[in-house]
Amino acid sequence: MFDFDATLPLMAVQFILLMVVLNAILFKPLTKVIEDRSTLISNSQTGAKEGLEQVNAITQQYEKALIDSRRQYQSIIAKAQAEAQKTASEQIAAAQAEAVAARETATRELAAQKVSAMAELEKQVDSLSQEIVNKLLVGV
Amino acid sequence: MPLDIEMLNFLDSPNFVSLAALEVGQHFYWHIGSLKVHGQVFLATWFVMSVLIIASLLATRNIQQIPKGMQNLMEYAMDFIRELTRNQIGEKEYRPWVPFIGTLFLFIFVCNWSGALIPWKLIHLPEGELAAPTNDINTTVALSLLVSIAYFYAGFKKKGLSYFAKYVQPTPILLPIAVLEDFTKPLSLSFRLFGNILADELVVGVLVLLVPLFVPLPVMLLGLFTSAIQALVFATLAGAYIHEALEGHGDEHEEEHA
Repeated sequence: MFDFDATLPLMAVQFILLMVVLNAILFKPLTKVIEDRSTLISNSQTGAKEGLEQVNAITQQYEKALIDSRRQYQSIIAKAQAEAQKTASEQIAAAQAEAVAARETATRELAAQKVSAMAELEKQVDSLSQEIVNKLLVGV
Repeated sequence: MPLDIEMLNFLDSPNFVSLAALEVGQHFYWHIGSLKVHGQVFLATWFVMSVLIIASLLATRNIQQIPKGMQNLMEYAMDFIRELTRNQIGEKEYRPWVPFIGTLFLFIFVCNWSGALIPWKLIHLPEGELAAPTNDINTTVALSLLVSIAYFYAGFKKKGLSYFAKYVQPTPILLPIAVLEDFTKPLSLSFRLFGNILADELVVGVLVLLVPLFVPLPVMLLGLFTSAIQALVFATLAGAYIHEALEGHGDEHEEEHA
């Protein structure tokens, strides 16, 4: 059972040969493919992460732009409203002023016409009274 | 009781071993010059080696990013081996040792299982019988001596002559034990493997002889289990010895804390 002979060194040599052969045809190519694969996986993971970050950045940018433009249009609306308000009140004021002015002119004209009418009437009172007197005196 | 008598006769018979069809210690000798070698071991070894080489060629013939079939199987084995080696030797230095540990594991594993699974009996040799190559003490001693050489090589390559410092490192009192260890390591490695495989084959053989058919089946399954475990143990211990030679006493604690 325990007989040692040339089998021992020959087995050792065979084992070393087997190791060299397996290293060439099994361990090296498989290690290479396994490591290549894990590199590929980690690379694409990094790539995906970067893409995700990019997407997030773009989304943020877009949201910021959205908020900005919302603010901008609100301010534009407010400005326009204010302007419109201003225009409206200016026009109202102008119209009121015009109306007041027109009324004043009308009042003044009316007064002037009254005065002239009164003057004329007074003039006519004189002539009329003269005529009345003449007529009466003719009868007498 | 004819049966009893028969059994007694059988037990008393002087050539019990050959009757039991377990021809322990009989070899199919080849003579190479003045040297004698065990032919049956070489035949079985060549079979095992060709199995491994054919499997490897099938696996890496058309290597692909997404593994399929044989490549998948061998990549599973490869992952297992790499994990085993990394666990034993450590992340930093395990890479160059993967082929050695891996070949040890695959070779012993296929040897053991070939002994358990392949009906070698059907092939008749003039003398001796075909069996797992690992049930010959020459094979296991050769492998364990290679492990010894490997860990000495690892130690010397890393530390040069200061490798010897580890013999007196904690205290010189332990020098004899440290020296003894270098002898017990290959001894225990080789005898563990040899004993387990031979004992397994003997037990199965005896049981088959005594109660044929179904009774030996659980023992055969146990044998498959033991065979796999022995391959794992051998490879793991080889890795542990190499790690020990690489690390020495000083660094171990640093690594534990790291």
